[in-house]
Amino acid sequence: MVVRLSLIIELKNVCMVHAVIPLNCLLCGQAAFVNRISGPPDHVQRLEELGLRGGVRIEMFRPGSPCIIRMAGNKVCIRSDGLLEVLVQPAETLSPR
Amino acid sequence: MNHAPTARAAMTVALIGNPNTGKSSLFGALVGVRQRVGNYPGVTVERRSGQMEFAGRKIEVIDLPGLYSLAPRSRDEMVAVDVLLGRQDGVRPVDLIVCVLDAANLGRNLYLVSQVLELGLPTVVALNMMDLAESRGVQIDCDRLAERLGVPVVATQAVRHVGIAELKAAMHRAADQKARKYPSPLPAVFRQEIDRLAAWFLKPSNGSPGRVVARPLLERLVLDASGYLERGIFAAEGPALAEELAALRRRLEQSGCAVPGVETKSRYAWTEQVLSGAVHEPDDYLPTWTDRLDRVLTHRVWGTVIFAALMIGLFQAVFSGAVPFMDLIEAGCAWLGAQIEAHMAGGALRSLLASGLVGGVGGVLVFLPQILILFFFIGILEDCGYMARAAYLMDRFMSRVGLSGKSFIPMLAAFACAIPGIMAARVIENDRDRLTTILVAPLMTCSARLPVFALLIAAFIPDEPVLGVFDLRGLTLFGLYGLGILTAVVVALLLKRTLLRGETPPFVIELPSYKWPSARTVLHRVLERGWLFVRCAGTIILAVSIVVWAALYYPHDAASVDRQPHLSHLKAALDRMDPAGEDYAALAAELERERLGEFQRQSWLGRAGRAVEPVFKPLGWDWRIACAVIASFPAREIVVATLGVVFDLGENADAKSEAGAKQFRDKLRQATWNGSGRRLFTVPTALSIMVFFALCAQCAATLAVIRRETNSLRWPAFTFAYMTTLAYLGALVAYQAGTWIAARIG
Repeated sequence: MVVRLSLIIELKNVCMVHAVIPLNCLLCGQAAFVNRISGPPDHVQRLEELGLRGGVRIEMFRPGSPCIIRMAGNKVCIRSDGLLEVLVQPAETLSPR
Repeated sequence: MNHAPTARAAMTVALIGNPNTGKSSLFGALVGVRQRVGNYPGVTVERRSGQMEFAGRKIEVIDLPGLYSLAPRSRDEMVAVDVLLGRQDGVRPVDLIVCVLDAANLGRNLYLVSQVLELGLPTVVALNMMDLAESRGVQIDCDRLAERLGVPVVATQAVRHVGIAELKAAMHRAADQKARKYPSPLPAVFRQEIDRLAAWFLKPSNGSPGRVVARPLLERLVLDASGYLERGIFAAEGPALAEELAALRRRLEQSGCAVPGVETKSRYAWTEQVLSGAVHEPDDYLPTWTDRLDRVLTHRVWGTVIFAALMIGLFQAVFSGAVPFMDLIEAGCAWLGAQIEAHMAGGALRSLLASGLVGGVGGVLVFLPQILILFFFIGILEDCGYMARAAYLMDRFMSRVGLSGKSFIPMLAAFACAIPGIMAARVIENDRDRLTTILVAPLMTCSARLPVFALLIAAFIPDEPVLGVFDLRGLTLFGLYGLGILTAVVVALLLKRTLLRGETPPFVIELPSYKWPSARTVLHRVLERGWLFVRCAGTIILAVSIVVWAALYYPHDAASVDRQPHLSHLKAALDRMDPAGEDYAALAAELERERLGEFQRQSWLGRAGRAVEPVFKPLGWDWRIACAVIASFPAREIVVATLGVVFDLGENADAKSEAGAKQFRDKLRQATWNGSGRRLFTVPTALSIMVFFALCAQCAATLAVIRRETNSLRWPAFTFAYMTTLAYLGALVAYQAGTWIAARIG
């Protein structure tokens, strides 16, 4: 019971604004800042070369797998396998859809 | 002369930039029509170069593939690095680099500039698509940017030819100046390690003298975790270098500069420094009309519906739009063949020219209109920016097969012809995905299979309605297309789980802003692809056509043919007739046809067909079908002509005209097993032949292209083996199951 309760609290925390969540948890139109990208160094570097790196502001355009995000006015389509994870911090306000 | 060259009369300029920066348009604006497209020797990366002249100086411009980084991971990046370092065969050392940047996205574009500047070559920066940047609210102070970068910066709009003259002048001036020494943005610890590595190379070892290695090369060597440079340029150093590098990278990691992360971190820090105060970007980007279009075009339902409609339209255009042109080419070839027959004395040479050359090469040229139309549409979809969206939509399906959305374009092209499909697979960065795509592309029902299907379906599949709306013939054709796709899916899945198993890199593609396609770019691409097809397929088909012709022509022993009892009977009957009589001409023609058929039967190919008859008997084929199928291994479309020949229609059997086609179908229907009244062609037999053709690798040109694109004999051999085996098994099942069902139904 206690475990379940703490799990619910934790889940609530994860979904709270400002918490760091995986990219694919972003809703359509939600803006966020990239927190960090973890995975094989080579793949991480590939994404960074494309402009997806810590501190960059993004906006979810089309959620799902693959998803489409807006980044500095450009759009990028991404499907990451289980190895690579992009963690983002949602911005406070939702931008208009 | 006023414009006397100051330093060098000729120079080489490399154009480099991220994809979708309008680099190709800028290249076109610089060199005009004087461009050449080829391959870099030994690799399947397109080499695009052109000539321009400025102030009396001849300038060769090389358009390097679009890339995000000089870290040599994909084939394109490897070639770009090699060209810039002056170690690519067939390319002169580069004197000047022009970096093409998307003005609306400088943050990312400057990353590549940072890498390029370190090479120490004179560099000019072209800020392209300035109009788009301004419309998005991006403000750029070009002078300040030039000052920060230490290289000339020119604002351009390549599509409208704005700023091209200024760019040329800047290139001309920069080429004569010595490049400014550019401080590396990488941290001091890293630079010290590079000093240490330089010293390591200077030390003589194993009896070989030490050598000086350029700093940029050493940096790339340390940063490149994939080992491309280590294996390529520094192979001679052997394991000693590998040990040295491993120790160096360990030391870097301990001091918090782990490779390769240190590169992106340092370069982006530099980028931010350069941009601050020189470029003002808006805090929030307003939705553009590209966004509005994308809301529909990438929508799960509407996007898919529009995509399907586009594909149906494309196929419709490819298959029906091409018909008049194909008829024209066929008529032209027939006329040429007839001219040769009429104006040359009979014999081996005439037969070689008429059947071997004109027939064989014409058989391939006939597909050219379809390929041109296909590439016209693909060109438009690519140039306007839609193809990236199609890749996004298809990725959902393709990823289930173990591939990515990038494999979609090659597969689409393969429906017209496997050759352009296999060549289009070059866009796939991941080698295993690319190879899988190449290996399954020939299973897509290409247009060369259509004549075979059309003939057999019309002859043997009854024209009956199914469920009121469909008809059995259409469904059969649909089923054959489906069989190809289904087999490709299964083979791709198997390959990705067995032979080509491995880590899949993340699928990332940029979705460029939509724009009106440029007629020049599209037409250029169409012509380029068309010529590539004619040259590549034409030469191979020409060679195999000659071989097949020879196998069907020789030994051409007239004495042995005329000894055949049915021929001597005919001859005797003819001799008894009045040469002026009505029936004489008809009988003479029949004798000629029978003689020709007998020549074919006694030819090497005919003998081979008889020898292998037992192998094909379980498929319901007699020696004549086997012979036609063997003859069509070099190019499957040959089978229609060969069937005509072996079933005694004579060389001029015209399967195209309505009467000819009917005569052809009747002849096939009447054919019986040797020496019996049993019908040779039944529905199961026709199905077994069609299944065989749907799955078999009967195309020498495709195999040759696979050999070229994979740079090995192993993969074309593998493709041939797996497809032929599948075809045999598929045909066996089709015939045996068909016969069994037919017997039950009665």
